[in-house]
Amino acid sequence: MVSIDTELVIHLMNRAGFGITPDELDSCTGIAYEDLVENLLGSKESSHIPDDVIFRDHVDLHASRSGVPAYWAYRMISTKSPLEEKMSLFWHGIFATGNSKLNNLRSLLNQIEMFRRSGTGKFDDLLLELSQDPAMLIWLDNQDNLNESINENYGREILELFSMGVGNYTEDDIKECARAFTGWSVANSEYMSLMAQKDSIWPYGRIVWHYDFKPGIHDVDTKEFLGEQGPFNGDDVIRIICSQKATARFIARHMYNFFVADEVPVPQWKDTPPRDPAAIDTLVEAYFEYDHDIKSVLRVLLTSNFFKESRYQKIKSPVELVIGTLRLSGEYNDDSKVDSSIFGVIAESDYMGQALCNPPSVEGWHTGEEWISSGALVDRVNFASQHIGNPDNDGVKHIVDRIRTDLRDDAHTVGELIESCGNSVGITRISEDTTEGVLDLFSQEEVQVKGKDAKIPIEDDTILRVLEFMVSSREYQLC
Amino acid sequence: MKTVKTIGINSNQPVGRGFNFPYDIAIKEDLGKSRTIYLLNRSNSATRMGTRIQYFTYEEDWIGEFGNPLEDDEAKFTRPVTLAFDNSDQLHVTDEATDEIKIFNSEGKFQRSIKLDSDSQGNGDRFGPAGIAIDSGDFIYVSSRYLNLIQKLTPEGRVVKEWGGTGGGPGEFSMPWGMDVDSQGDLYVADWRNDRIQKFDSEGIFLKTYGESGRGVGQFHRPSSVAVDANLNVAVADWGNERVQILDNAGSVINVLEGEATLSKWSHEWLDVNLDEREARNRADLKVLDLPDHLKNAYHEASQTEHKFWGPVSVKFDSENQLYVTEHSRHRIQVFEPAS
Repeated sequence: MVSIDTELVIHLMNRAGFGITPDELDSCTGIAYEDLVENLLGSKESSHIPDDVIFRDHVDLHASRSGVPAYWAYRMISTKSPLEEKMSLFWHGIFATGNSKLNNLRSLLNQIEMFRRSGTGKFDDLLLELSQDPAMLIWLDNQDNLNESINENYGREILELFSMGVGNYTEDDIKECARAFTGWSVANSEYMSLMAQKDSIWPYGRIVWHYDFKPGIHDVDTKEFLGEQGPFNGDDVIRIICSQKATARFIARHMYNFFVADEVPVPQWKDTPPRDPAAIDTLVEAYFEYDHDIKSVLRVLLTSNFFKESRYQKIKSPVELVIGTLRLSGEYNDDSKVDSSIFGVIAESDYMGQALCNPPSVEGWHTGEEWISSGALVDRVNFASQHIGNPDNDGVKHIVDRIRTDLRDDAHTVGELIESCGNSVGITRISEDTTEGVLDLFSQEEVQVKGKDAKIPIEDDTILRVLEFMVSSREYQLC
Repeated sequence: MKTVKTIGINSNQPVGRGFNFPYDIAIKEDLGKSRTIYLLNRSNSATRMGTRIQYFTYEEDWIGEFGNPLEDDEAKFTRPVTLAFDNSDQLHVTDEATDEIKIFNSEGKFQRSIKLDSDSQGNGDRFGPAGIAIDSGDFIYVSSRYLNLIQKLTPEGRVVKEWGGTGGGPGEFSMPWGMDVDSQGDLYVADWRNDRIQKFDSEGIFLKTYGESGRGVGQFHRPSSVAVDANLNVAVADWGNERVQILDNAGSVINVLEGEATLSKWSHEWLDVNLDEREARNRADLKVLDLPDHLKNAYHEASQTEHKFWGPVSVKFDSENQLYVTEHSRHRIQVFEPAS
């Protein structure tokens, strides 16, 4: 049996990262759980595939003309700071911005880099950066939000989807909020939005956007917002929003959904209580106790009992499944492995229902059970088994070598092989169904008679078949 | 140096005029009469559709193209990197994915290829030919990005000299890229990940290093290309710093170029039939930048304006000492001439 500590480390890395390889697990030996959490929260280490090499091999990624999901995939696969990438993914799911309208992926990548830079800081600062983020401003038409004629798109979504949630403000608050953000625009907004509308790359490729405040179209008059009055601008509105308990609850529930256990989709939150109200209360308290600091809330979450006890309560998102599998398979484990195959690999996540940089709507993706349709499940199983079932992949080769070395004498049973293979791909609780399925792989009479207590020769092919079965199991879909 | 003109326009089409992530050029001159520019489009790395060589006059009169994915296997490219003409106007193209130099005549007809290998190293690793330069005797120099060495080949492809090795010492390399041979037969190599240019004689004897890592004047960040003019001045595509630096042969910086693009002939033609964009563009100010601190660096400044170099990957001189800077992320060539 795997030790409780090992199981907890695997759980932490599944949620705060993209899983853990056997070697990485070894390197955690002897480190206290709280110290591992601190390492994750504080890590700003670089990755093993630097940008310059990526851009040399994929020149189109230099300008982010296309392929930002592929670039992001390199980052997620190779990062030594997985929580940083996980938080970027978290905010991308909430502040969901899509290139289908922007036609300017480099601007969208700047937004994702902003999540990487500010995603664990004070929520007020993050919301301010978001409100000045050119991709978000164009996505929600704020360049058309003028003092003479407001466009309330951003004013509505910042309240409904980015901070407080439906039911915690009025229609008047939306209008007043929009007034406060008038003039928050991008430089050369007329030309830039025309190029975006026409998907124009002429004459010299896309020009990346930058924020520009236009005082001439900003409404300086008094506003009344969430019970407060004043000549508010966007900064004031963000301060007021971030001081609301509804905001703390909304962010807490998102964090719970992303890191702890699957919740119902956001539109149902108004009518459906949280799965664990006490956990949400704990996170809300942390939000205020630590002055809206997201990293502090994360620390409370990751060290809480409700987190530690939440194993296998979540269905992996397509990106988590794809990236976690590739980190295990080691296909991109050094900078000589930069290769065009990355484009096809990350496209698999699209087929499974999560196309990075193109969320289905401003509401982002519905998660949990909604990831699993019959077609998506087949894609998920096929993807994992193809990549972990390929002995030419360096990571797979290494896992097979480790297991063979660990089990090299013939005193080991099929049950031990199953456990070793499961643990190697991050599965610590193997169901009876999965065990039965593995046993069916063996034709030896002894296995048919003695089941998992049977002793068999541990050959590479055998290990590989069991590994492949493990990543095809129900358990591998969960984390 | 002062700006002369800008050539080209972006295109995402797999055929026809317009550039799609141009990576290098070669210039064929009929002295006193005409200059024909051969431009390598690296294109979209996922599909490779559009990877090809286009050729056109200095005046932007379109002539043709070759090497696209629809051609026969022997004539098409996978991951082409650099171009060079020999003294018989045979265009040599390195392809780092297939470990080949493909050779075409000036009409784009495939002639033959030279297969490069690592047999002399005995390890069978990929060669990854990146840069290419051809001297007055038609000896071919090719840099290996994977093996970190330079090979000198006969025109037929027989290796006559090989030097290098992985490292940062004199004569060692880290993913070398572009190269040029000066009028005295010395070779200059953009030692990409060592952030320097190295100079060798024609037998591979190390002579000199130019530059060091950094962002300051005289420092380089991932230089991708080098070109030497008739006065032995050395132009360096300081790719990671989004600029071109020009040094005298002793190594003193005499010019730093950041780009000053104008509208090319093809750009004017395009805007003439897209008047809404021309008018909106005329009302815009694409040179004013007020960027937040985290975007105040060469890459972001280049990405958020239009006249500056963005991805200056290749530098080439013509016989009149005009400098051609190819920018992959702005899909154009900026041409400069000596100031005096």
